[in-house]
Formats: sequence, C-alpha cells, structure tokens
Amino acid sequence: MSRGGVQQDLIAAVATPPGQGGIGVVRLSGPGARDVGEALCGCELTPRRATFAAFRDGEDVLDEGIALYFAEPASFTGEDVVELQCHGSPVVMQQLLDAACARGARLAGPGEFSERAFLNGKLDLAQAEAVADLIAATSVAAARAAVRSLRGEFSEVVHRLAETLAQLRMLVEACIDFPDEDVEFLEEADVGGQISALLRALEDLRGRSQQGQLVNEGIHVALIGPPNAGKSSLLNALAGEEAAIVTDVPGTTRDLLKVDLVLSGMPLRLIDTAGLRDSDDTVERIGIARAREQADVADLVIVVLDAALVDAAAIDAAVSALAPPQGPRRLVVMNKLDLIADPGPANVAEGVFWISARTGDGVERLKRAIVDAAGLSGAEIGFTARARHLESLDKAYDALQKADQQLRAGEATEIVAEELRDGHNALGEIVGTETPDDLLGRIFSEFCIGK
Amino acid sequence: MHYPDHFDVIVVGGGHAGTEAAAAAARMGARTLLLTQSIETIGQMSCNPAIGGIGKSHLVAEIDALDGLMARATDRAGIHFKVLNASKGPAVRATRAQADRALYRNAIRDLLEHQDNLHIFQQSVVDFVVENGVIRGVETQMGLTFSCATVVLTTGTFLGGKVHIGTENHPGGRAGDAPSIALAERLRALPFRVGRLKTGTPPRIDGRTVDFSRLDVQAGDEPRPVMSALGSADEHPRQVVCHITRTNPATHDVIQANLERSAMYSGAIEGVGPRYCPSIEDKVVRFADKTNHQIFIEPEGLNTTELYPNGISTSLPFDVQLKFVRSIEGFENAHISRPGYAIEYDFFDPRDLKHSLETRAVEGLYFAGQINGTTGYEEAGAQGLLAGINAARKVQGRAPWEPRRDEAYIGVLVDDLINLGTNEPYRMFTSRAEFRLRLRQDNADQRLTELGIAMGVVGAERASRFRDKMSALETLHGRIAATQVVPGSPLAGALGVDLNRHTDLAAVLRRPEVTAAELRAAFADATAALVDQALIETKYAGYIARQDEEIAKIRRHEGMSLPASLDYGVIDGLSNELKQKLTHNQPATLAKAARIPGMTPAALSLLLVHARKEATL
Repeated sequence: MSRGGVQQDLIAAVATPPGQGGIGVVRLSGPGARDVGEALCGCELTPRRATFAAFRDGEDVLDEGIALYFAEPASFTGEDVVELQCHGSPVVMQQLLDAACARGARLAGPGEFSERAFLNGKLDLAQAEAVADLIAATSVAAARAAVRSLRGEFSEVVHRLAETLAQLRMLVEACIDFPDEDVEFLEEADVGGQISALLRALEDLRGRSQQGQLVNEGIHVALIGPPNAGKSSLLNALAGEEAAIVTDVPGTTRDLLKVDLVLSGMPLRLIDTAGLRDSDDTVERIGIARAREQADVADLVIVVLDAALVDAAAIDAAVSALAPPQGPRRLVVMNKLDLIADPGPANVAEGVFWISARTGDGVERLKRAIVDAAGLSGAEIGFTARARHLESLDKAYDALQKADQQLRAGEATEIVAEELRDGHNALGEIVGTETPDDLLGRIFSEFCIGK
Repeated sequence: MHYPDHFDVIVVGGGHAGTEAAAAAARMGARTLLLTQSIETIGQMSCNPAIGGIGKSHLVAEIDALDGLMARATDRAGIHFKVLNASKGPAVRATRAQADRALYRNAIRDLLEHQDNLHIFQQSVVDFVVENGVIRGVETQMGLTFSCATVVLTTGTFLGGKVHIGTENHPGGRAGDAPSIALAERLRALPFRVGRLKTGTPPRIDGRTVDFSRLDVQAGDEPRPVMSALGSADEHPRQVVCHITRTNPATHDVIQANLERSAMYSGAIEGVGPRYCPSIEDKVVRFADKTNHQIFIEPEGLNTTELYPNGISTSLPFDVQLKFVRSIEGFENAHISRPGYAIEYDFFDPRDLKHSLETRAVEGLYFAGQINGTTGYEEAGAQGLLAGINAARKVQGRAPWEPRRDEAYIGVLVDDLINLGTNEPYRMFTSRAEFRLRLRQDNADQRLTELGIAMGVVGAERASRFRDKMSALETLHGRIAATQVVPGSPLAGALGVDLNRHTDLAAVLRRPEVTAAELRAAFADATAALVDQALIETKYAGYIARQDEEIAKIRRHEGMSLPASLDYGVIDGLSNELKQKLTHNQPATLAKAARIPGMTPAALSLLLVHARKEATL
C-alpha cells in the first residue's frame, strides 16, 4: 500500500520521447515492479543502485542496459519503480514493454505516472494543475492517434469482428434470458464454429498489426495554409540536409503528400496539404475540407502564411480561419521573409515564426519548436496508440480461446458467455463498448420475444 | 383533522413496492403507516398472475434474504412451480410460480397484519407537507393530515393513468381502480422530471369456454421448488397445470385488417412500451414472417375459472379482440371476461433519485416501484424493500444502504436506473449483471442475510436458520477439502469418474461432467440443498476469484469520494457532455462517476486529481 492509501496495480510505459535516440527508458511503477524488473534483468535489483543487465524476455536477450530500482516511497511516483535504460530503438522498447505486460503489468494511461506521483504526495498542490493539464493534453493526443490508427482496413476488420462477436453473444444471452420463447437461439448460432473463425481472424489481424502494416505511428504534423504560401518549400526545407527522409508515402488522397522523417530523433509524419488552387469551384472546396480533416487529427498543425501578403496585424484572423484554436496545437509560420523588408520588432507577434523556406532563415528555430511541441504528446503516444490496440486484440484473443476451451469441455452456457463478454469488451476498447442494453436491443429487434 | 400520532415512515400505496417498504421499515422498528386507496387490493397482482422468472426470481430471493414478503407469500399462493434454465448453470437458473391471486393477496395481508410497528389506513393521499425542502407529512382525500419523518411513495401506474381500448380512452388505474389524479398534479408541480410509459394486458378468458383437449399441457416441476429459504413445498396449495396455444394466420389477418383501430397504431398513445413485451398487434406487424405466436395460458386461481392468456396483450377495440381470440385454437367459443387494454401512466425520471431511492429534491421522500419507470412485481418489491430500509435508517440517523452491483441484483437495478434512466419500462435480465456468476438465486442469503441481520431488517427465525446453514456449509466444504478420491473407490464410482491417480475431491468436482446428483449420492448425510450449494461454489471458485479482482479495483474507486464542492464545469479536458452529466449526477464517489455513460479512463484520472486537490485545499 503506497502512502496515498490507494492500492494500485502495476503500470508500464516508455518514458522517453519516441525516436531513434541514444537511450530509451521503459518505466514500471506499482506493486510487483521489482519482481517484473528482476525477471526482465535475470538478476537481483538493489534499491538506488544502477545494475548493468541483459534485458530478456524468457530466453531471448532483447538488449543490454542499465536497470534502476527505487523502493517505495522514495521514488518519482511514490511506489516501487523500476527504470530500464536500453538503446533507443523503438523495436527494442516495444519488446521490453510487451515482456513487462506479459508478466502482469498493464500499459499506463495518459499521464498516469504523474497522476500517481501527485496522489502519493510526491508533487505539491501547485503542480496538480500541471498534472491535470498533462492528462488532458496527452489523452487528447492519444485519442487523435487512436482515431488515425483506426482509419482504413484495421478499423474495418476490428469492427467486423466486433459485430460478429456481438451477434454471437446476442444468441447466447438470448438463450440464457429467454428460455421460454419458442426460438432455439443456439441452433442458429454454431457457437464453436463462430469462435474458431473469430480466433483465426484475430490471429491474422494481430500478425499484420504487429508488422506495422495497419496501424500508424509517429507524430503527425500537418502543414496548412493558403495556396502559394510556401508549404512545399517548407516541407523541403524541413526534410533537407539533417532530416533523413525515411519513406515517401504516396498520398491516399490525391491532394495530400505525406513524408516520414526523423527530426532530432523524433519520428514525424509531415502531411503537406499542397496542391489547392485558388478558385471557388467544388473540387477546391473538397480539397479544403480534406486539409481541415487532416488538421483535426494531427498532433501539431503548422499554419503557413505568406508574409508578403498577410499583414502582421491580420495574423490572428488568418490563422483562426485556417485552424480553429480548439483543435490541435498550432505553430504559426510567416514564410517568404526574404521577400519583405524587415518586419521590425513591433511586428513580431509571440509564437509566430518568421522564416524563409527559400534561404533557410529561421528554419532551425522552427525545427526546435516542432520537436518541443511534439515531444509533449510524443512521449505518451509514440507507442501507446498502437500498443493499446494490440493489447486489446490480445485480450480478446485470450478470452475467446478460453471460451473455446470451455465450450469443448462442456461447461455451462453462462461460463462461455462470461468469456465471450470479456472478449467483446476487449474489442470494445478499440471500437467502442456495447452496453448490456444495446445487446438486449439486438435481441428484441431480431426476435419476437415476450408475452 | 390532524392525526394525533406521529409516524417515522409513511408508505403511500399497497402494491408490491409499498407492502415490502412498509414491512421492511416496520421490521427495523420504525413506527410505520401504510396508506392505501383500498385495503382489499393490498398485494394485488394487477398484471399476470406469476412471480419469478429469469432475473426476477433472483430479485425475489434477495428480498427473501432480507426477510421480505414476496417469496413467503408465493410459497403460500403458488399453484404451479417451474425451474427455468435447469439445463444451464446455476447462476442463471431461476424459479417461476403461477400464483392464485386471491391467495397471494391474503398471504401479503396476513403477513402485514401480523407485523409489529405497522398500521394500515385506507385513504387516498392527495398532497404532501413539505417545509424547506424536507418532507413533514401527507394529506388525504378527506382532509386528514399525518405528520411523519419520511414518506415512501409507491403509486405504481396510478399517477395520471389513462386506459386505452381501441379508440376509446378514459382516466384509470390498473384493473378498474381509480387513478391518483390529484397526487399526480401535485407531484408535477415539484421539480421532478416526468415521463410517460405504456403497458398492456390481454383480454381475460373464462376457462369454462375453452377447449383444453386441443391444447398442450405444461405441468409444474417435480420435485417442486420453493421460493423462500424458509419455505417448504408443504405450504403450497393444490397444484394445477398450465396450457399453451398459438395464434395462426387467421388471427394475424384479423389484427392486420383492424390495425388502424388499435390505440397503439392510431397515435392515441404517447407513452413508450417495453421492447420485450410487445402487444400482439406489434408482433404481427414487426415479425410479419412469423406465422404463429405462442400463448401461455395461466390460471388466475384455484377458485376462479378466469384465465390469463399471456402473449396477446392488446389495445384493439373489443369487437376485434373477440374476433381474433376466437380464431385461436381452443378459444373458438371463448367468452372474454375482461377486455384487454393498454394503460399509459406517469413515471418520474429515476435519475432524479439518489442510490438510496430518496429524491434529490425533497429530503425524506423516497420513490419505489413502477413510479421509477420499472415494470414487474419483483422489480417493484426490491425497490420497496430498499426504500423502506433506507427510510428507517434515516429515522435512525444512519447512512443509507446502497447495495453494490457486485452484491445484488437490487444494486444492478438501482444503479442502472439512477445512472442511465430508462425510456421503456425497465425489466431485470441476467445479462444486465456483469457479476452474474456471483449474483445467484442460490446464494442470495449468503450475499445479504448477514448484512440484513446487522441492519435489523432480518428477524430471529431467519437469522438462526441462516447461521445453521452457514455452519453446516462450512463443515461440508471442510470435508470436501479433506477428501481425496481414490481410483476405483466407491466414491469414484458414486461420482462416475475414471481416475488414474489419487485426486483432490475439489478438482474432481470442477469437472463439467460431475453434477449435483452424483455428489448428493456421495454425501448422503448432508441435505441436497447444502450439497448443491457446496458443488456450485467449488465449480465457480476460479471465476469468482477472477471477479473478486475486478471488484477490488472498483472498490478502490469506491473509497474515493468526490467532494460536492467540485466544479466540473471548469475542469479542462472533460468533454462538455461529461461536464453536464457529472454536474447533474453529482456522483458521490469515483466508482459512481465511472458508471456514467461515456466516462473514459482519462476523465476519471482528471476527476481523481481534481478531487484530491480540492480535498487538500
């Protein structure tokens, strides 16, 4: 029991911003942190002492690094904390995290380490607001990342599986709650066959998700602005020299260009909404709508304006028209500094970056600002959006496997129903949960029930 | 006139909620008055004459575990008992009894009249005395005022009741009773949100005009189950059979041809009916491809020939009712003794209640039963019991009892109503209970009776029977734990298992193929009920342990109270929708906040941090 009097469970997360930095830290906090840490290190951990160890998942050595153990209450969160410092490769950190979760940890929620630190009296009252802000900001970022990763095929497949499972549960629950009706619910169900099919589909989905084929990662940065403001030049400037272009991603829509790059060790996906012509026609309007949509789900929006056309006093209005303040974080760039006379100190509004994408003037400062701005959400979402989905798929798989075993063993219907509910709830973590009343609604609309 | 005596608890209404409320408060020592429009209709079953069923008998068992009336009255009045889901697991097994209406009423009235601290008075209540938001008394039709500390209002469908038969309608309560119009108007003036619901009944039929020789017979179960833990089959009156018939295409044609004359379809009804209890016109329209619908014919009693044909509730005009009834096999010459009708009535949005069933608007005023948007005798009785207990506890100066979802179906019922509200008459189903495997009919006493003893709502006889059972069960579990099954032994034979090594009996019992019958044979000296109980607990042990972990997590949040001073409107990161819901619901604990629809883990984290900050200030 920690000092806050709150019995908590063991949580784990990557504590460093994502990217191929030199060192990555996987942090565990809560009861059992030491046991799990020692299992991963294969050796004993002493409080407040750095231990060099080979991090392993069973027999497999994943990496070598330093393990630190802080016994409660003398730790960041006030609970038992273990920090594993490994090489900063995303793959290694993901494997370490998986190994920790396989041993009873669960993925930390947004801001959860700070939350625990606060609840255990490790942060003072003045910091409470900051903790709350962090939770709010990171959960919003995580929600955006989840929305992105849920687009396309992954979402379709998960929705389809959840629907199949809902239909199956509908029949099983109807058979339990309405035994008097003259409908043989389970005759229609082929419960065993359905569960097997779901298991196969989940296995396939899990495999493909793991290879990163279906779920996006990284921080999304959208460049938006009026035509000819220099968005493409800025993209090139950002992606130039130091920044390594990782892949060229062909746009899923014709009017979007996406570039994956690593900036100061932070994986970024730049989305250029270039190609919009200045006209009033329908195509134009669709293009603008698409740009806005991108801006809504991005982690960071860079509003690019033409300094030669937009008066410094009109910046606010121009920005608000393009990216509403309640959306993601914004950076405002006044481009084409080289085409105007010096804006003068009076014209330098706060938070506005005056640059020239053509000459490179001011681009360095902008890069640092992007990395800073992205870092806040990055630490939380780099892995978790995808990892959380995978965790849910695993939970669903486990539950259905148990349902399958119990069905074969001839267990009673309500035991199988219990596992099916667990599995459905796990998929619900991705696509939205279905309440008992929703399920009853399915039964009543499908079958003529009642006297 | 002002009545000279002061009461601790006044219960308004003598239906299933009212009688349980009055009896529970009186058992707890509160000076209790039951006010009813008519003493003759106390304990009246105004819909079908049956108690129990899936999910419902679970509620009855919980009422019984707290020494309530319903199960005991059913054992005295039941004329046909069945175990439902017998082939499925024990968590979803249920009991249903057909009851003789008159015997049931008599049993309830008898139990009430022998209850200490309880007085009954026949008068309609027309008004409340409320001072500074606190209830002080009630006023009756003849101008009599009573002063009291608490009031439990259980007026069922009487508030603003309107009966529809075809295109005709008139104000009315259930089954010919007068509606409580004055009280409805008075309540509408108080700050409660009011909604409108609808329910229906089938035409009743004179059994002398039914050709039973053409119908399927459904006999009761043998051995005959009992409802109450204190009950025995010896108490049961003479048993009878039920019958089953079906509608046919001719029936459906009659209904289709007259749809526009149904109150339901003519638009005369604004209230929402239950999805699980559609009228026959609804069934025919919505499931047009179904060529017949089952009708379960329930006897109304031993000394009456009237029958309740369950499955054909209707708001069609009488001439159509007669025509479609006579198109049904066995009913060719049927005489309808009472026409079917639909009834619309007011209910109060249960989201305006606390988990104790006390209203938020008026201190000391409790609502229980159909007035809260539920349907069913069992749901009403369960709420009445809870409201009665809490009214008495308030008088005693004690904190209310708020049963949890993992503790009782009563907890699920109240929690669903208060968090989610309802837009149809709410009925219990086992699928509503996420801790279904723990909330069994067989262990209701183990879940609740000890608590009931502590609250003073359980009498001496039940308390002593319960403690005897628990000690015998403990002994039996001890014997099971100490027993190994030797391959080829008589025990292995009795259990019907083929073993190749010494095995713990508990492990053998967890095998799906081992059933109660085999274990009873092996432990012939223990009672069958006790052996069944031990077997169920052994089989479910693993699942219960898993649920225990889940519950521990929830309870962690339960200990976290959310101060009333918390201003949800200014918490950044909460959606506007959540801000509104939280401001309205004012959850007392984090656990209750977690049950609000749309709540996310991140939002809970925010509440936790802000609550702690508020508490530290």
